[in-house]
Amino acid sequence: MTQQWEPVIGLEIHAELNTKSKLFSVAPNRFGDEPNTNITEVCTGQPGALPVLNKEAVRKAVQFGCAINANVAKFSKFDRKSYFYPDSPRNFQITQYEQPIVLGGTIIAEVEGVEKSFAVNRVHLEDDAGMLKHFTNFAGVDYNRAGVPLIEIVSEPCLHNAKEAVAYAMAVRAILQYLDASDCNMEEGSLRFDANISIRPKGETGLRNKIEIKNMNSFSNLQLAIEAEIKRQAQEYTQKSHLPPNEVIKQATFRWDPESKQPVLMRTKEYAEDYRYFPEPDLVPIVLTDAYINQIRATLPELPLQRLRRYISQLSLAPDAAFFLTSDKLLADYFEEGLKTCSNARNLCNWIIVEFAGRLKDTGKTILTCGITPHQIAKLVNLIDKGTITGRIAKSIADDMLADPTLDCEQIIAGNPDYQPVHDSAEIAQLVDQVLASNPQSIADFKAGRDRAFAFLVGQVMKLSRGKASPAVVNDLLKERLKAKGKDEG
Amino acid sequence: MHTLSAIDLRNKFIQGDLTAVEITNHFLARIDRYNQDLGAFLAVFHERALQKAKNLDEKRRKGEKLGKLAAIPIALKDNIHVAGEISTCGSQFLLNYRAPFDATVTRLIEAEDGIIIGKTNMDEFAMGSSTENSSIQKTFNPWNLKCSPGGSSGGSAAAVAARLCPLALGSDTGGSIRQPASLCGIVGFKPTYGRVSRYGLVAYGSSLDQIGPLATSTADAALLVEVIGQHCDKDSTSLPMPGETYPLQERVAGMRFGVPRQFIEGLAADQQQIFNNSLETLKSLGGTIVDVDLSSCKYAIAVYYILATAEASTNLARFDGIRYGKRSARAKTLDEVYELSKEEGFGPEVKRRILLGTFVLSAGYQDAYYKKAQKVRTLLLQEFKKAFEKCHLVVSPAAVNGAFEIGAIKDPLQMYLEDIYTIPSNLVGIPAISVPSAFTKDNKPVGLQFMGPQKQEAHIFPTAHAFELANGSSKKIPPLYQENLA
Repeated sequence: MTQQWEPVIGLEIHAELNTKSKLFSVAPNRFGDEPNTNITEVCTGQPGALPVLNKEAVRKAVQFGCAINANVAKFSKFDRKSYFYPDSPRNFQITQYEQPIVLGGTIIAEVEGVEKSFAVNRVHLEDDAGMLKHFTNFAGVDYNRAGVPLIEIVSEPCLHNAKEAVAYAMAVRAILQYLDASDCNMEEGSLRFDANISIRPKGETGLRNKIEIKNMNSFSNLQLAIEAEIKRQAQEYTQKSHLPPNEVIKQATFRWDPESKQPVLMRTKEYAEDYRYFPEPDLVPIVLTDAYINQIRATLPELPLQRLRRYISQLSLAPDAAFFLTSDKLLADYFEEGLKTCSNARNLCNWIIVEFAGRLKDTGKTILTCGITPHQIAKLVNLIDKGTITGRIAKSIADDMLADPTLDCEQIIAGNPDYQPVHDSAEIAQLVDQVLASNPQSIADFKAGRDRAFAFLVGQVMKLSRGKASPAVVNDLLKERLKAKGKDEG
Repeated sequence: MHTLSAIDLRNKFIQGDLTAVEITNHFLARIDRYNQDLGAFLAVFHERALQKAKNLDEKRRKGEKLGKLAAIPIALKDNIHVAGEISTCGSQFLLNYRAPFDATVTRLIEAEDGIIIGKTNMDEFAMGSSTENSSIQKTFNPWNLKCSPGGSSGGSAAAVAARLCPLALGSDTGGSIRQPASLCGIVGFKPTYGRVSRYGLVAYGSSLDQIGPLATSTADAALLVEVIGQHCDKDSTSLPMPGETYPLQERVAGMRFGVPRQFIEGLAADQQQIFNNSLETLKSLGGTIVDVDLSSCKYAIAVYYILATAEASTNLARFDGIRYGKRSARAKTLDEVYELSKEEGFGPEVKRRILLGTFVLSAGYQDAYYKKAQKVRTLLLQEFKKAFEKCHLVVSPAAVNGAFEIGAIKDPLQMYLEDIYTIPSNLVGIPAISVPSAFTKDNKPVGLQFMGPQKQEAHIFPTAHAFELANGSSKKIPPLYQENLA
């Protein structure tokens, strides 16, 4: 009998806040600039420099706390976390260890169509490190990122498989986006995941030794890493079942290498760092009033879950489509922009997340980056709804729009005679007769009451018209002719 | 000219009796004449100071408004930044470190037309009580060149005592302004924690450090505190209150002075006598003496050497050879850059304190040391609060004795005891001043310390001023430096 394993996973998510300046200095918080340009004496840890807390960062952390229904601490403070590394300008990080700004909270995520709640342990503020850059015979440090504000969102060990972890992480990203708290740009590292993973036999209650995998910067890497680690641990326990569990898996920390897509061992527990936390004497505690917290709570923007529910109840979107749209704020905003032009929400949604998204697959672009405005897609949907074009023509137009995103869809139609739908009954009648003549079996089937035969015949006419015949006219004519045939024989 | 107080010099400049260039040249000449033997200055800003003086003379000629410190030459301890100038902190590590920005105090002094004349020697990173821990040079006591000026602001204290400049800034983490002031026969003041911005002061113990003046009179010290005691947005621990002025009416009558008998008892007989004489002076001026209980002060040194070193071990972690300062030429790997740069850049006392601070914060020891020390600090705070219910100011000696000979104290623990009277006010964050009160039989100056409740500078200065006038010790100039250089 094979052993049933239950994975236990906790996630630590680092999100860079999109404040104008850094957490403890007036230096700009901006990605992608020339190395060491967005720095002040604070960012490079000059002697005599002192940190001053950015209130905007506090506000965003509190917003996040309110958004996940957590307890926002009225008193929190910063601590020094000591470790030596060249990207750490003071060789200590300023973080919140003993008294974080947010405690508890709940993330609601959809896992394979089922809504689940996951518990957050804490959320704290801290500053990011710089970045090491390796050249052929030397290494340099870029301190542009040093001091960028982060919130670290620490879950309870309440996730039980990679899919749950990804769903949780996506829900966190969505909340951060809806609050405009973070750019959540994973390529630029503004959202990074650390996972703590252990497994235990189903039914066992205690936690076994955990493995930490740090610094994954995409949902797919997160899923990949967790699945691989669960598998590895299960194999280890199975192969070494004669040993006590804590000798099979020893606590260790790995770093995720995005190039090789493999975890790389950083340290084992014997060499665990002693961070020597103690209260940061250069900063005063963060003291918040109820009025401040309540004001933030009362003015929260619409959150992903609220928007999801609104799309289902008010726009009649299918739940999975609504979830897909709302789990990316930018995509949902794109959709809403389209709604200003087109009222057929279901079709608009379908064209955005199925038709266009499908065409963009494997191009490296997304609907948000391809250059087509939501207004154009909405117009296209309107043209279909009005019967100006057929669905088939619309699909061809979509291809043309992607080929040149600057074109207007009405111009595309005007410029291509093939896209003018045929409404002329006489012309279509010829095609109908042609189809009926060559498909006697279908006529027989139809008479025998098989509805699918009718659809087949419609399809044949459309095919013959190369998709240009107005479906309404085809329908009418076919019905008329079939009825007539029935009478002839009757 | 050197016998004039800073305020007198300013007034004579404003009235047109002296030009700023005359004043500056006079003190530059004194520095050039005496510093070689005294070792007070590490850097002298001849050009910078004279340029500023010329600007001030021009400003006066045009009838523009002149600042509170107009034409007063002021020296800064070498852990206070002047943009573009080197801040060594007395360390080999920072011999080449040019400050990229002005300390807030530097900015405030220049805005009030003070003339920054140079940087003074100090114990390396302000760790020490004799200035012997400077890795650059020795500083001697102007009253006795065999002796230490005290420390860590020994350079500033010696410079002011020898009248190489009328006013200087030091920093005080456990007594580093007041103890050298006491040993050099001048006034030294540590403000309320947060009164003076620490921005641009190279940190030693961040929760204890304060910048303050060393002066030949309480009035001059108070003037400098008026200028530098401003709220500063760049220091989060800066008090959220406007600057103050300190009118110096002589006021002692009606004042109650608390004496913590417990920590006077260990004092040598002659020092006890000096202290008792000072109490008599206060009584003769109309004050009353009451006993106060500050028995937790017996733990102050232990608490201080845990908290200050804990903070220092992290404050000094940035000196790693990566971005600035010393980088060992022998280093071939990253770990060697760290290890060898620190090995070569730091002196033994700095290494000792970094190790001690690292130890008291480490896992398994933090509760027994760091956290317990924080609790005792809270206890001390409560004791002082209670004491100030019974008295306006607490009085004590500023130092255990007069100046000691250089090299005489070899045991670091014995050196730590030098600060037994000054450390409590740093731990509690209260203002404290050392005022010259007597000379020992061998003509070494001794100071009296007044400590006040938080933010009550306005109580301390008038009392210290009155005591100073009644006592007269501060008027004396060390014999070696009385000559008026023409």
